[in-house]
Amino acid sequence: MIERTYFAVRLTGVILLGMTSGCIQVKAPDKPIEINLNVKVQQEVVVRLQRDAQDLIQNNPELFPQ
Amino acid sequence: MMRTIRWAAAGAAILVVGTLAWTGPARAQSAAVAQAMVAGTVGEQSDGYLGVVGGASAAVTAEVEAINIKRRAAYTDLAAKRGVTVSDMAAATGCQTLSSRVKSGQKYRIAGGAWQTKGDGPIALPGYCATAG
Repeated sequence: MIERTYFAVRLTGVILLGMTSGCIQVKAPDKPIEINLNVKVQQEVVVRLQRDAQDLIQNNPELFPQ
Repeated sequence: MMRTIRWAAAGAAILVVGTLAWTGPARAQSAAVAQAMVAGTVGEQSDGYLGVVGGASAAVTAEVEAINIKRRAAYTDLAAKRGVTVSDMAAATGCQTLSSRVKSGQKYRIAGGAWQTKGDGPIALPGYCATAG
């Protein structure tokens, strides 16, 4: 019975040790973080224009004969 | 009150008649150009405008020019709304016409290159069209 308790305590210790060593340490970077959004914005403009273009074609069949 | 409604009805009637009168010739115009597109004398260009391949009648050529002027007006309007250049708006529309409007056997032209005939597969679009999906 005592041995079993001892084993359980040891097991808990091992688990706790494992948890602490598995922790990820986060360190704030020295330099400011720069995120470049230009590419995404450019793509959004193109996508938006494509949608406008589709609407234009559909709404003006006399301008876009087939 | 009744008078207001009557005036509104009259206004709506005039608007409807006016619209019909205006789209009548426009439809005839696009029909002649549509025939020319099937015949291969008129084609779509990647710059968003129609082009005369060759062999089109003077009337069809004039109609193509008239349509292009209206297209330019529409592109200018949309470009102003979106804060882009007219040529960007026109090119975006060109991507659409080449990818979904030009049918097999019809003529098309990319960036001032030679006229080509669309085959069974899709047209190889300019790079700037690809990102639009």
